[in-house]
Amino acid sequence: MQRQRSLFVLILVLVIAAITAIATISIPLGLDLRGGSQLTIQVKTTPEVKQISERDLEAVKRVVEGRINGLGVSEAVIQTVGADKILVQLPGVNDPEQAERVLGGTAQLEFRQQKPNTEPQLFALRTIQIQLKAKQEELRKAKDAAAIAKNQAEIHKNNQEFEGLFESIKPPLTGKYLKDAYGEPTQGNDWNVALSFDEKGGELFAQITKNLAGTGRSIGVFLDNELISSPTVEAKFAETGITGGQAIITGRFTPQEAKDLSVQLRGGALPVPVEIGEIRTVGATLGKDSIQRSIYAGIGGLTLVLIFMVVYYRLPGIIADIALIIYALLTYATFALLGVTLTLPGIAGFILSIGMAVDANVLIFERTREELRSGKTLYRSVEAGFYRAWSSILDSHVTTLISCAALFWLGTGLVKGFALTLALGLGVNLFTAITCSRTLLLLTLGFPALRKPELFCPNLPTINSKAEAAR
Amino acid sequence: MKISVIKQRSLWWTLSGVLILSGIISMIISWQTLGAPLRPSLDFVGGTRLQLERDCTQAQNCAQPIQLATVRQVVDAQGLGTSSIQIVGQNQQAVSIRSKALNGELRTKLQAALSEKLGAFDPRKTQIDTVGPTLGRELFSKGLWALIVSFIGIVIYLSVRFQSDYAVIAIIALFHDLLITTGIFSILGLVQGVEVDSLFVVAILTITGFSVTDTVVIYDRIREILNLHPNDPINKVVDDAVNQTLTRSLNTTFTVLLTLFSLFIFGGETLRYFALALIIGFTMGAYSSIFIASPMLALWRQHKGESKQVETT
Repeated sequence: MQRQRSLFVLILVLVIAAITAIATISIPLGLDLRGGSQLTIQVKTTPEVKQISERDLEAVKRVVEGRINGLGVSEAVIQTVGADKILVQLPGVNDPEQAERVLGGTAQLEFRQQKPNTEPQLFALRTIQIQLKAKQEELRKAKDAAAIAKNQAEIHKNNQEFEGLFESIKPPLTGKYLKDAYGEPTQGNDWNVALSFDEKGGELFAQITKNLAGTGRSIGVFLDNELISSPTVEAKFAETGITGGQAIITGRFTPQEAKDLSVQLRGGALPVPVEIGEIRTVGATLGKDSIQRSIYAGIGGLTLVLIFMVVYYRLPGIIADIALIIYALLTYATFALLGVTLTLPGIAGFILSIGMAVDANVLIFERTREELRSGKTLYRSVEAGFYRAWSSILDSHVTTLISCAALFWLGTGLVKGFALTLALGLGVNLFTAITCSRTLLLLTLGFPALRKPELFCPNLPTINSKAEAAR
Repeated sequence: MKISVIKQRSLWWTLSGVLILSGIISMIISWQTLGAPLRPSLDFVGGTRLQLERDCTQAQNCAQPIQLATVRQVVDAQGLGTSSIQIVGQNQQAVSIRSKALNGELRTKLQAALSEKLGAFDPRKTQIDTVGPTLGRELFSKGLWALIVSFIGIVIYLSVRFQSDYAVIAIIALFHDLLITTGIFSILGLVQGVEVDSLFVVAILTITGFSVTDTVVIYDRIREILNLHPNDPINKVVDDAVNQTLTRSLNTTFTVLLTLFSLFIFGGETLRYFALALIIGFTMGAYSSIFIASPMLALWRQHKGESKQVETT
């Protein structure tokens, strides 16, 4: 009894914790529920780049980020998926046409030279650029969508003005000549960005640096027509330019800045095209409808199961119902705590798991009834019901978990959501259907008024037929 | 209530045979007309599905239902004659178009052309799904792999937990459930144009997990009775086991069906056929455990027992 009491306290604590978690943590909704566009970008291999390495994918992702930021969408999420995919989520975007337009195609990196007598303009524009970028960062944090879009227009204008100050050399020194770029520490606390060109690139780089060395004019490094760096060349290279295809951009970079610039450069140097493999767009109103319908479906399903259990199993049915409600609370709280993003298939998995959650109780109670019919005492029947149903319950959970694991391992986004919610549900279910309902049932048996076999099983055979039933 | 699954087994097996056979015939017809046993959604073959709904807050915009012929005209004019078009939604105010994969530019052009003829659409009620053919193939092969992996996992688990003949028959029963479910969806695909998508694969995998469960419950009981009464004839043992576990099998399936029917009725377009696949699969799962897997085990054991007796004499 002592053990039952402490378990009961544990259950109470868990339920209160679950309610607190549900009340305080809001579960993030997938784009299919809140409305928005989701694009899956596939990075294609080419004869030159036969395999996409993790480093390559990271570089392409940085290019994608640059392009998406250029759209001025608030709360955009960009992440790599698997070995060759990048997932772009754009909440609130009803028409992904713009995003599609900017995302397709290979990154364009080019080193251009500054036109003569434009130094003051460049300085002024750079000051504006820094201000605009800082402002954009603040606006992103504040999630002010309208202001972000407006500021983005300013940034775009600023970019175009930059472009006017630079010109391509002939032939243009593009990203395809850049072999690698990486950040490296100096003797001090600063970091540099090292560049390395192939042979042809080295020649072109020597030419552009020879033109600019000592003039005070800059090299303009443009990625997708946006100026990402504008270093000057020291006067000592005026004779020959920087030869040998190796160069270093010094600029008192922090490690983070050096990494960011080098990843951008690498992304621009990769000759891999990207292709939009999948677009899923759901209007916000449709998403809201889906949430509404899921709530109806969930409540409808739960209510039907609750009613069935009480009508069919009586007192234990009530206990199973309490356990089921605890189950729903705990599972939902688990979602909240683990930060599961709720999608439509995820909700379906959750609703389905409500129906499966009482299966364990059905197995247990049926067994209890059998034991009662065979003439055992109430207490022993209940114990035997839990004890002997255990192996069936375990089998059913394991087989379903195997399927969930296969789904989770091989599935894509949407499917994963379903597998995850169903599997989490099954785990919680082992606790609620067995520990919870057993504790509650045994505690109930502590009340003499409830210790009546007919509350557990209708039409129990009388003593006379006991021998027959026990046969 | 006491049923004898052994006595009436030819009846049940004929019934299942007819169901499976019609499914297979439908898959063959489907293969010849559609190039696939089931009607694949754009998830697997690539394409664009565009669903647009008129903005009814604008005066007069929704006065008339959308006419299929009008939409067809616009779509044909865009050179997308092979697309399928459906008028959907309340009061026929929405249109759903499935075409080959369209890029943003072509799609925007189509949307603009439609809007010109049909009136303004509500962007908040727009749904766009585009899957490129490469990704479609990948989704499909991943789905198949997930199925194969979970099959193997379940076979291994069952062989460890039970004797191998139990495991084999449980898997046969599982195939029975899956064949009937896919068969019915193949028929639905031919008759109603129902498509199978990623969620259908999910449903099949969920059925896989669940269907074996029902069988395992009965097998658990058969094993238990055999331990208590090793000399009882197998036919009686199986009949007893089925009857003793009958309410369980029915009730566990019934509670799940309650939630599934709720999903089917309230769950909306996306989840409707997902719920239907599960309803069919779970019902078949319960049915096959009782009427297929159990008598089959009895038959197999009987056969094996007889051959043993022959060997010893």
